[in-house]
Amino acid sequence: MGYAVAEGPDIETDFYNFSALNIPEDHPAREMQDTFYIEDQDEENKPYVLRTHTSPVQIRTMLSQEPPIKIIAPGRTYRCDSDATHSPMFHQVEGLFISENANMSDLKGTLIEFCKQFFEVQDLKVRFRPSYFPFTEPSAEMDIAYHVKNNTLHIGEGDKWLEILGCGMVNPVVLENCKIDNSIYQGFAFGMGLDRITMLKHGLTDIRSFFNANLNWINQNGFGLGDY
Amino acid sequence: MKFSYSWLCDHLDTKLSPSEIAETLTNIGLELESLSDYSSYAQFVVATIVDFKKHPNADRLNICSVENGEKTFQVICGAPNVKKGMKGIFAADGMYIPGTDITLKKGKIRGEVSEGMLLSERELNLSDNHEGIIEVQGNLRNGTDAVTALNLNDPIFEIGVTPNRGDCLSVRGIARDLSAKGVGKLKPINIKKATSEEFESPITWSIQNDGNSCSFVVSRYFKDIQNSTSPEWLQKKLLSIGLRPINALVDITNFITMDLGRPLHVFDADKIGNKLNMRLSNDQEKLLALDNKEYSLNDITTVIADNKNPLAIAGIIGGNDSGCTLETKNVFLEVAVFNPSMVAKTGRKLGINSDARYRFERGLDLEIVNEGLDYASSLIYEICGGSFSKKVHAGKIDLNQNTISYKFDNFEKTIGIELSEKDQIKILNNLLFETKDYKDGTCDVTIPSWRNDIKKNIDLIEEIIRIHGYDKIKTNFPLSSNDEQKKVTNSLINKKYTVIKKLKKSLISNNFDEIITFSFQSLQAHELLSGDPSLKISNSISEDHAFMRSSMLFNHLESLENNRKKGLNKLSVFEIGPVYNNSKSQDNILFALTSKNKNQNKYFEEGSLDYYFLTKILSKILSTVNFDIRQFNITRSNSNIFHPGQSAELHMGKKIIARYGKIHPLILENFPKLSNTYGIELYFENLPIDSMVRRNKNSKQESSFQHSEKDFSFIFNKDQNLFEVYRFVLGIDKKLIQKLEFFDEYLSSEIGSDKKSIAFKVTIQSLEKTLDEKDLEQIHQNIIDKVSSKFDAKIRS
Repeated sequence: MGYAVAEGPDIETDFYNFSALNIPEDHPAREMQDTFYIEDQDEENKPYVLRTHTSPVQIRTMLSQEPPIKIIAPGRTYRCDSDATHSPMFHQVEGLFISENANMSDLKGTLIEFCKQFFEVQDLKVRFRPSYFPFTEPSAEMDIAYHVKNNTLHIGEGDKWLEILGCGMVNPVVLENCKIDNSIYQGFAFGMGLDRITMLKHGLTDIRSFFNANLNWINQNGFGLGDY
Repeated sequence: MKFSYSWLCDHLDTKLSPSEIAETLTNIGLELESLSDYSSYAQFVVATIVDFKKHPNADRLNICSVENGEKTFQVICGAPNVKKGMKGIFAADGMYIPGTDITLKKGKIRGEVSEGMLLSERELNLSDNHEGIIEVQGNLRNGTDAVTALNLNDPIFEIGVTPNRGDCLSVRGIARDLSAKGVGKLKPINIKKATSEEFESPITWSIQNDGNSCSFVVSRYFKDIQNSTSPEWLQKKLLSIGLRPINALVDITNFITMDLGRPLHVFDADKIGNKLNMRLSNDQEKLLALDNKEYSLNDITTVIADNKNPLAIAGIIGGNDSGCTLETKNVFLEVAVFNPSMVAKTGRKLGINSDARYRFERGLDLEIVNEGLDYASSLIYEICGGSFSKKVHAGKIDLNQNTISYKFDNFEKTIGIELSEKDQIKILNNLLFETKDYKDGTCDVTIPSWRNDIKKNIDLIEEIIRIHGYDKIKTNFPLSSNDEQKKVTNSLINKKYTVIKKLKKSLISNNFDEIITFSFQSLQAHELLSGDPSLKISNSISEDHAFMRSSMLFNHLESLENNRKKGLNKLSVFEIGPVYNNSKSQDNILFALTSKNKNQNKYFEEGSLDYYFLTKILSKILSTVNFDIRQFNITRSNSNIFHPGQSAELHMGKKIIARYGKIHPLILENFPKLSNTYGIELYFENLPIDSMVRRNKNSKQESSFQHSEKDFSFIFNKDQNLFEVYRFVLGIDKKLIQKLEFFDEYLSSEIGSDKKSIAFKVTIQSLEKTLDEKDLEQIHQNIIDKVSSKFDAKIRS
């Protein structure tokens, strides 16, 4: 699809992780994410944070490149939370497409295609529903249909829904923060939990298994040489 | 946010069933989290245990005779609360039990026939209670359905409300949004205006704060009231959404918070002074709040105070000492407008999550301040009697109605589907947004007071598509352009991922397992490794994760130790991931660790695990990315993680490429099962990427013509990216320039502190002929000219 990989640091400034993404300090949206803070402070005298999402890579890319921009940014992300479905460190992958006319229909088609490929399911029933993220507008969440048969989760068909990703049109405020002329350019962004969708695809139940380096588990569930 | 179907119907005239409402809620962005719809429970009925006796073959079981109004069944039951004459909820054979996900089948339990089941609350998904079976209270006939018997005829919705939609933190707001979608008609708010106003309030207001945190407050004084438990309708409403009724006064305020989204507060007027003030607190003051916790206040907290003490934390929680009880005779009701950001800041600082804070920090409808007061007044008057004063207020409400000039074209440009102006206007009007002044494809849209999140064109586009339906968005598939493909192919990071794949493949084929470990390390590890102090996490989840890791060593040692404890001997792992130099810099490296018990020889067929074995592994890894280990400068390593005598470092110019060897004995002391452990740190990002990406030296077209090598040395700016130089030089003449290798980097005050000297060797060869002196001279000059001008570099003689 023409997305080039982009990267950014794990230890981020408040600016890249929050304020450039239209998440001001006292906004309730900050409480959607439990942030790890580093004691050291950045140039604005704000503590460094462990990035809570891969979205700061959007900002870094938009500030350093001219549109059109088409990137995909995988990476480690952090939130202070730990149970079977939450790990203090996890992975996200973020996509961004900025051009003169990338619109929400393009977004929808792109994501459906992505999910078909990822889950290896050709007939994939999906649902887009309105949501809210400070850095996109309109925002959406995408669900995929599933059903359970013989205690196994089957993705693609069914009357139950699994939430798999968040997305939306890049908020013009974010473009402005990145010095991109929002009267000319527009675009979309999407982000998802890589561990989560991997768990769904492979029927794994505990996210912590990915990170505790249990070699028995890895050799049962891991990938062989052929997968690289 | 929870609400019941009947409560919603107080505000919305709808024909939709609860499950249809549920689907609509999700479709308009009010995501349904749960809907308790118990209509299928009508199959379960009230039945009486007419008699029971002990099960002959099981101590804990009873054989019950159960009468359901039609006939008597034999039921084997293990509940401890079984008694004669008791009424329970009966499920007959063939019925599906939701709490256990089982369909009942007729059968024998320990030899005795059981023809059904008496249900617990957990079996009906009503609660987690499984202590005993449900005992139905009251005088209900056998055969009465469970929905009626247990009062389950009002389905409860729970929805997730996103932070921008403070207006939907009320049943009224939800009904309003549903009506915009066209699923019902919004009913007018029915506030009975009580007419009591006869006296001046003995308590008055002033606002004396930073001028920002509270802009308006209005109150009434209620005299000679009789507080009591609330009437049944009110109790039922609160109970339905999980709120415990307390007393009428408190219940009324909770009800209005949920119903209209308007928090308000009642003080016992006899427990407070007669001059109330909105003011900033200070760090000497404390308040025992309604949650029975004492809070130390501070100078960013706005409080409601009388002339002596703080009485409540503004917008967040009331004080215990001034709260209303059943003995309360006189009441002072307060409704105020607080600054969202002030409430958020204070709430976070004090760690208080209340329904009031939740609403205030999302911003409230300024037009229902007085309505809220009137509504509460009429309810207090109706339920508690007495009489109330005229309104008393301070400050003013700034009803600044926002008008946006909206451009209809923007919708299609953003969403990618057509929607006529007429249809767009219709949706806006359904949302109660006023539209006027249509001209040149634009109109003016006036935003209602409850939608303080709507400020720009894009907000209106979102509203229109939200109500129109996300399912109407088309699915285009944007193909990638040639330019995009080229960018992908040339992207250094994409190339890096190709390199990472190669590295992984080479390690896996050498019997290493790939692991991913946390980016953290413990205090102890951080100290032993002399990690940078700027890597300390302020709010780490545990001591073991107190710092960002300066090395992967400890994570991997711990993982090997854990795996060895499980009896595994094959212990070779690697990880490709970040290590952190300080808060501003990280390196992505490959780290591999391998350990072997001294007496365990099976795994490494090639001989014992030692420095030379490790050199061989590293050499294999490097060769898969087209490097020969002999190309690098090798020196003794002085890293504190490796054994001083059994380790080495590879450099390319000044850049570190790898460190490897036996792990330092002082570190291994902490890991008794891993005394013989070796590691590799590969800084693969320091190698020229294009050399690594190349498929294979041999697959390149061979030339039989003579090649020539030429060394160049340039002075660059110190921060010059060498990958860029590398790519640029190779691009000067793709046919002739075959290879570029950096071999020296040199810093010195002689050349200037902001400069560096870089030396590289270029291999020149033609596939067509042997180049002569003149050809070579020309290309050498070309390289010098182009590099000098492109990078502002100087050739060194």
